[in-house]
Amino acid sequence: MTPTSAFILYAIFAFGAAGLYLLLPQPGRSRTLIGGLLGLGALVCFFLLLGARVIRADSSAVFFYAFAAVAVAAAARVITHPKPVYSAVYFVLVVLAVAALLLVQEAEFLAVALVIIYAGAIMVTYLFVIMLAQQAGSPVYDRHAREPFVAVFAGFLLMSAIAGRAGDYPVPERLESIPVSASAPDAPVLPPEAGNTMQIGAVLMARYVVVVELGGVLLLVAMIGAVAMLRKRVAAEGFRASPRPVGQVGREVRPF
Amino acid sequence: MPGITEYVILGAVLFALGVIGFLSRRNLIVIFLSTEVMFQGVVVTAVAFARLHHQLEGQAYGLFLLVIAAVEAGLFLGMVMLLYRRRDTLDAQVWSVMHG
Repeated sequence: MTPTSAFILYAIFAFGAAGLYLLLPQPGRSRTLIGGLLGLGALVCFFLLLGARVIRADSSAVFFYAFAAVAVAAAARVITHPKPVYSAVYFVLVVLAVAALLLVQEAEFLAVALVIIYAGAIMVTYLFVIMLAQQAGSPVYDRHAREPFVAVFAGFLLMSAIAGRAGDYPVPERLESIPVSASAPDAPVLPPEAGNTMQIGAVLMARYVVVVELGGVLLLVAMIGAVAMLRKRVAAEGFRASPRPVGQVGREVRPF
Repeated sequence: MPGITEYVILGAVLFALGVIGFLSRRNLIVIFLSTEVMFQGVVVTAVAFARLHHQLEGQAYGLFLLVIAAVEAGLFLGMVMLLYRRRDTLDAQVWSVMHG
């Protein structure tokens, strides 16, 4: 990345940060219109700059810019919307856009898994908890952000640091043309027509078997932990607990 | 076709947005939605580098990240329900007793 384009990028990030600062829920008069315009302008400039870097425009470039714009705009709404339900729904939009970007990058299995697990399972759980813990009206902690300027400044610094180091990577060849087994000496030899799912399965089973098992154990532990954390003792109908003598408490262990 | 740089910058933008949300919002649920946004940025970057190096390890890491996200969501939402039962609010600043 040349210094000039890097500085233009920093300027765009600064504009975006200013817009984000104005968009974050704060007390006092509403400045969301100015902030939204500023943020939208920064978004448009950002994608114009990125688009100028692509000399050969083809269909996947169009998809990239469209879905990247959706992802960034929806992510900005996730963190600025005063209502958590809307934040969750905007996050589903982020997940869908990211899944589309993974499809553009020929990561079909991961894209589908992302939609099923994130947009399907995790977000439904989030929505359930939001509904259970919903407060009447719009509580003050949703309307007032905590230290918005410091947070936006920290994000801006982080962003500039990462983007400054991003470097100019070459445009890669299509993944399908490279046999995966060439990169992994212990991977099984796959037929040339093997798709992304089969290749991922080969990588997982050949090199990351222990990690897959650990993932299963981790999920089990988390499930048990969540159940144990949330269980509530409820007195059954007509049940009267007899006071236990000292020294007997630990001996009658029942499953919860 | 967009190169890797665009994907890396996009992943960084998503990650930074998540960081800003994590630092500035006060609702516990929105705080953890922000961490999920950070996860999305990491997935984009991992897959982009997988394509750069012609290896599927980045995509495998993306899958493991999905597992971690599911674990985190389960435990975290349980924790939120627990905290909500105790104080009847989702405000993170209620729990700043150790703040000093």
